[in-house]
Amino acid sequence: MGAAALLSAAVLTACSGTSGLVSTEQVADRQSTDDPQSGGIIEYGHLQEPKCVFGGWIQENFTARQILDSLVSQDDEGEIVPWLATDWEVSEDQLVWTLDLREDVSFTDGTPVNGQAVAHNFDYWLDGGNGTAAAHLGGFYEEATAVDEHTVEIQLSAPFSPFLSTLSQSYFGIQSPTALETRSDEENCRAPIGSGPFTVQAWESGQYLEFARNEDYNSAPANAKHQGPAYVEGIRWSFIPDNTSRYGSLLSEESDVIGEVPAVNIAEVKERFDFEQYITPGRPVVINLNTEKGVFADQQVRQALSFATDREANIESAFLGTVPFEPSGYLSQSTPGYDVDAATEYPFDLHRANELLDEAGWTERAEDGTRIKDGERLEVLFTYGLNTIVTPDGNTAIQNFQEQARAAGFDIQLRPLTPSENSSGAFSGPDAYDAQVGYWTSPHAGILNINYRPGTEEAPNGANTTFLADQGVFSTIQQALQAPTSEEVTEHFSQAQYELSELAPAIGLYTQTNTIAVSEELSGVWLEESQGGPVFHDAYFVTEESGTDESAADESVADESITEEEG
Amino acid sequence: MTLTPSNVFTEPLEATPVPPIPSSPRPRTRPTLILSLLLRKMGGAAVVVWAAASLTFLMQVLLPGDRATMLLNQQTGQVQERSAEELAPINEMFGFTDPLLLQYLNFLGGLLRGDLGVSYQLLQPVTTVIGDQIAPTVILTFSSLAVAWVVALVLLVLTARRVGWVSRLFSGFEAAAAALPQYWLGIILLVVFALGLGVFPVVGGEGLLGLVLPALTLGIPLAGFLGQTMRTEFERTLDEPFVLTARARGMSDAGVRIRHVLRHALLPGLTLTGWAIGSLFSGAVIAENVFSRPGLGGVLVDAVNGRDLPVVCGVVILVALIYVIANLVVDTAYVLVDPRLKLAR
Repeated sequence: MGAAALLSAAVLTACSGTSGLVSTEQVADRQSTDDPQSGGIIEYGHLQEPKCVFGGWIQENFTARQILDSLVSQDDEGEIVPWLATDWEVSEDQLVWTLDLREDVSFTDGTPVNGQAVAHNFDYWLDGGNGTAAAHLGGFYEEATAVDEHTVEIQLSAPFSPFLSTLSQSYFGIQSPTALETRSDEENCRAPIGSGPFTVQAWESGQYLEFARNEDYNSAPANAKHQGPAYVEGIRWSFIPDNTSRYGSLLSEESDVIGEVPAVNIAEVKERFDFEQYITPGRPVVINLNTEKGVFADQQVRQALSFATDREANIESAFLGTVPFEPSGYLSQSTPGYDVDAATEYPFDLHRANELLDEAGWTERAEDGTRIKDGERLEVLFTYGLNTIVTPDGNTAIQNFQEQARAAGFDIQLRPLTPSENSSGAFSGPDAYDAQVGYWTSPHAGILNINYRPGTEEAPNGANTTFLADQGVFSTIQQALQAPTSEEVTEHFSQAQYELSELAPAIGLYTQTNTIAVSEELSGVWLEESQGGPVFHDAYFVTEESGTDESAADESVADESITEEEG
Repeated sequence: MTLTPSNVFTEPLEATPVPPIPSSPRPRTRPTLILSLLLRKMGGAAVVVWAAASLTFLMQVLLPGDRATMLLNQQTGQVQERSAEELAPINEMFGFTDPLLLQYLNFLGGLLRGDLGVSYQLLQPVTTVIGDQIAPTVILTFSSLAVAWVVALVLLVLTARRVGWVSRLFSGFEAAAAALPQYWLGIILLVVFALGLGVFPVVGGEGLLGLVLPALTLGIPLAGFLGQTMRTEFERTLDEPFVLTARARGMSDAGVRIRHVLRHALLPGLTLTGWAIGSLFSGAVIAENVFSRPGLGGVLVDAVNGRDLPVVCGVVILVALIYVIANLVVDTAYVLVDPRLKLAR
């Protein structure tokens, strides 16, 4: 695989001189003006096919963004801005959110977007319509009621400060209640009805999803680059699972945009295309240690492993420098409220790791260097879903970690899981692993509440994969969720990160990223802030006058370096 | 299928004294014979399909882990344990908590009615899922087979038992082709002909042009297998006295090779074809993946990963049927190639 990809890169470079001169057929012949021109179909090459257009999986979040509008949006400063909701306020006790809705928006089936429609969606998500939406709001959501035609009230059972940030994700895209009630699950899965910039036109399983422009679109979020219908007539969202083919389709101009740029091609992509990288907020890719059973029940052993390896060098080499190292085991660096000092408390310090293990009683060593305590070897089992949760490059990082941890006396056994093993629950309980690798995207630090709420008999918390049951941390997280001002929210989340860091239930490895590469013939594609999905509503094809190719190319190179810094 | 053709035909065709066909009793017995043969074949096919379906069912049900948990986790992209409360609606919807025997009987009942059920993940009827994807896979399978036969036959007739080094060289080529990993070959073809030379599209789709590289990807290794299998028989037959006789009658070299020798060499190739159709069908996923083609391979991989029992069973039953049919066709083809087999029955 690696060899084939390298080879392709070599061959591709050899034939790179000719591209860029071919003009885009889809674009009407028109001189460039100030107004972006209308028309054309965007060919987008995507890695994975979703199961449904809308749902709780990140792939479904990406497709849902094209056809559903959410209540609010998040801009690139992290501020919440109006979308279907124009205004909002929260009650004194922070339990009731009142949202004012736009009055002039309809779903594409003609149903008006009103208070009743929004309330219906809340109930739908929480009743099993969307597992991810339920994971965010479950335990907080009480009920939603339409106060009047264009006002909806959401009643919570406990304060939840990241409420709006949560709603900005496309998991919370608003669908037509008429469609949800009168159509079959299959119909809603394959072509949900929203009020968004595009509608589903066709889905050829295994090949592509076709989106057509919603000609009556009038409800772009406040952070969109223009209002009104999309410039392009549609999107062909092709599924191109193979890395070489996907990147090749961009080089051969069969695709105008591709997602998930292969790591080996990123250097070349930066030179030849517009490249954007989104660092996903939420829980990064971390090693979750089982704090309930086995050797990692001992805090000192957890801290020792956190010190034991040079994770920064590891990630740099495994990902060829294309993915940022994430020192924090709890939040990714792009998450609002991320505390960089708390994150960096465990630099590479083998001496300290050895001290901690000695103190913990792991004083003897076997012939192979593995530490021994009371005749028991310091042998631990790491499980992870290979090619689902962890990419092949991530697998290299885990193997590097395994190798480096030997010096401190850890004997790490790796158990990559097949997709069905991984999600079957058979490898999920406290008896199943010593450590497990995973991530969880979320636009806000409230993810800590999902990951670290202690499970109880009545309310088990399967999302707590370290099984940490620490009331201190939990109450700090609750304070953050209930704090009235954003400064106080940040302060409490900071404190929670320090407390977690001390307990060391997880070890950070790298951030999840989402990347796109855009041909220079297309302009205006952006990645939305909550989950990093591509937004095509503002995109348009650029017509180049013949002979100005060179200067246009130079400009786009300059543009791209700015994009990169932002990313 | 128990014949080993290379041992059966030690005598040349022409030299075999053909016994006179007893013309009067045959027409009377033939209909019943054919009927019983057909019934036996169909009975066998039914058993094969039942066994394949039952094995798949058992494997999917008995694998470690919980199916409702898996569905819920896959819908949300998580890998955690789930509470009974969360699982209840899914268990009720798909009947996962029913006694195993009841689930099995329901499953068999559905099969008998021709109802394969609804995909757990895609929420579509399995017949729709398979129906949408079967055409591209069938087209790919048979194009690959055609490519393999053409390449194998041309090379065989042109190069077998020529000047020592020519024959050895091409025999070596065949062995190498047979050993080529399809994934690697696919990537090389893609990089050279689609990206480098730009002759073919990178993303295959359903067009004829997009079919060429995928068909070569699967066809070239198979051509190697076919060529190697037939070459031995072909070269051995060239030494037969009847070949000498034919040449002595003044027949051209090409005529001898094609009309007399090839017929003998075809039988091992046909045997291999029965296996190859099934294998191409299930191996199509590699070409589908590299060339972004639709097809059943991708459907099967996704369904296995998601333990989507109805879809997995549907595809397995289909593949079992295709094996059965392919073998029936091969048996018939034997008779066409070598009429003596008709008499042996």
